[in-house]
Amino acid sequence: MWPRERRGLWLMAAPFLAGTVLLVLGPALWSLAMAFTDWNLVRPPSFVGADNFRELAGDPDFRIALRNTLGFIAAAVPVRLIVTLVVGLILARPGRGDRAATVAVVAPAAVPEAAMALAWLWLLNPLYGPINLVLGGLGLPTPAWLTEPTTARWAIVLMATFAVGEGVVLVRAARAQLPRGVYEMAAEQGAGPASSFVRVTLPLLAPILVLLAVRDTAMSMHSTFVPALLVTQGGPPPSATTYLPLFVYREGFEYLRYGYASAASVCLLAVSASIVWLEYRLVRRWGARALQPMG
Amino acid sequence: MRRIAVVALAAVLASGACSTPGASGEVRVLVAGDPEELAAFRAIVDAYRAAGGGPVRLEEVAERDDLVARLSTSIAAGDPPDAFLLNYRYYGQFEAAGALQPLQSMLDTSDVLDAGSFVPAAMNAFRDDGVQTCIPLNASSLVLYYNADLFAAAGLAPPRDDWTWDEMVAAARALTRDVDGDETVDVWGLGVEPQIIRLAPFVWSSGGSIMDEGAPSRIDLGSVRAALATQAFLDLRGLHEVVPTEEDAESIDLETRFLGGGLAMLMESRKVVPTFRTIEDFGWDVAALPRFGRRPVSILHSDAFCMTARAAEPDAAWTFLEFALGPEGQAIAAQAGRTVPSLRSVAASQDFLTPGGSPSNSRVFLAQLDGVRSVPNVASWPQIEDAVNALLEEAFYDPSAGPEAPELIAAIQRATAPLFAQEEA
Repeated sequence: MWPRERRGLWLMAAPFLAGTVLLVLGPALWSLAMAFTDWNLVRPPSFVGADNFRELAGDPDFRIALRNTLGFIAAAVPVRLIVTLVVGLILARPGRGDRAATVAVVAPAAVPEAAMALAWLWLLNPLYGPINLVLGGLGLPTPAWLTEPTTARWAIVLMATFAVGEGVVLVRAARAQLPRGVYEMAAEQGAGPASSFVRVTLPLLAPILVLLAVRDTAMSMHSTFVPALLVTQGGPPPSATTYLPLFVYREGFEYLRYGYASAASVCLLAVSASIVWLEYRLVRRWGARALQPMG
Repeated sequence: MRRIAVVALAAVLASGACSTPGASGEVRVLVAGDPEELAAFRAIVDAYRAAGGGPVRLEEVAERDDLVARLSTSIAAGDPPDAFLLNYRYYGQFEAAGALQPLQSMLDTSDVLDAGSFVPAAMNAFRDDGVQTCIPLNASSLVLYYNADLFAAAGLAPPRDDWTWDEMVAAARALTRDVDGDETVDVWGLGVEPQIIRLAPFVWSSGGSIMDEGAPSRIDLGSVRAALATQAFLDLRGLHEVVPTEEDAESIDLETRFLGGGLAMLMESRKVVPTFRTIEDFGWDVAALPRFGRRPVSILHSDAFCMTARAAEPDAAWTFLEFALGPEGQAIAAQAGRTVPSLRSVAASQDFLTPGGSPSNSRVFLAQLDGVRSVPNVASWPQIEDAVNALLEEAFYDPSAGPEAPELIAAIQRATAPLFAQEEA
């Protein structure tokens, strides 16, 4: 017999576990199986072995989508993590208006993605959008945003960076939990604010930062879908903002190549898992080294 | 604990029962369209019910892409709608996949519909090996909308139905103006999207083709005539600078720009008419597409009602389709103004021509149908079209970096060759 407390924990976790199995693991295994088939969603699937993966390897559109996705992760995850950390630590310091500021930071995360995408479409309008009007007013260059490949990619990163509210709340809460005594000890050993930040705050927040980095990486794999579909439509040509989720969607649901799209999904999952594993290893090693006694 | 589980299970089953598709006899029809089009479909269903028809449930989505996604997933889930509306350019992939129930035998025995009363070009677009698979609801084509006030102010005669390409370009150059002297163009002469379905009519008019003859196996814009038409199309932006720049097009779409009086001419199908009927500040009308070669050619824009191969209520669905595609249903759709009826009798009626209303030259839609052409019925056409459009857009908007017609045509052939190979496999 399990202790009553443990049974209670399992009971509470049960709905989440059931949802994970039914809505994540089940479909993932299904996609894995479909990746080895030719299936147009209409006729029964037929087994084609690794043909889909072989075709993916030679598909220039897939290579572009993969490169775009990796580029987005390389740019968006660090930017989002830094913004989350900085804003979270600022908001962790008690002061006037900190609650209102927290609400302002969290609010964009509560807005539906499609609504947010349409708002960005207006904000980034090259001739009449407020961002370019402000930049122009300040005498700064006004990018074409969505019509140039480089600026269009950065526009997608910018959109992702505004949805960091959830992470900010986590960092703020974690910072509030750090024991004051540790900072007093660091101060006694002569650590200034910068040293305390590097030697105390960052290592103690490492678990949260790992969590955020892992979550952001996984999220980055799919968070490009709505803005790429609604704001840039995968362009400007040639496929500057066609990321893997959009590639998968088009192949599966527009071109009816569901088996091929499943194979691309499997690749997406593999890439995502590899990066998360790498991040986990790196941050663990960094955290262990940073926690060594100051000498 | 067990009691909670039983209650939860009952709730799940109850919710499942509530969402069970269609009660017996109810016809499920999947449609996509803008608000005016969806309102017309609702009106057709209401009229059908008022005429004693059985229950019909419209399943509405906003975009064609959403319709394709919903249709394919519902078929995969074994729960397809009985009927759905599909553009002919996307019909091939469902036809090749065996998702459609041919309507030829039902049409042959129908007391309501007669194949001979429909626009032949639209019927042909939904026919495979002589078998009518779907039946068109509309038969629009690409035309030239123009702002009559801007033409008058510039001292130009309105476009004639026998206009040439060069005459159109000359007018567009005269109409492209910086009104307020701030060194930016305020009124553009012409609006056209850089897409293969906009380019194709001029290639055909020149005597060229967009694909090889017979069973299409490649995009073939390589003939001299096709290359000339392609270069002329690219020159609209790169050389003549009469169409909005990419930034301008991104800032305000062409339809909105025309509405605001910032565009003198626009190449579009019938779909913009309901919106344009709200224009009060200036006069506007439609003209035939100009000819690039000896004779004008337009491109078909047509949607048809199809029936899914595994329709749960095929007989009831056919009865509804007979009504929707018949004179009464098409008249309701025509009154919305967005489509050109595929039934010739309705297209020639006041429901469509709306004497005294706008556009006053609606007959041009009917006149163009005689020489209208369509893109080939190829299962991978949606992919081919996307690939070509991406290259065309790049060349159109960035003439300094983008390729000239011969390089563009070669790039199009390279990009689409694997898609035709996929088709053959």
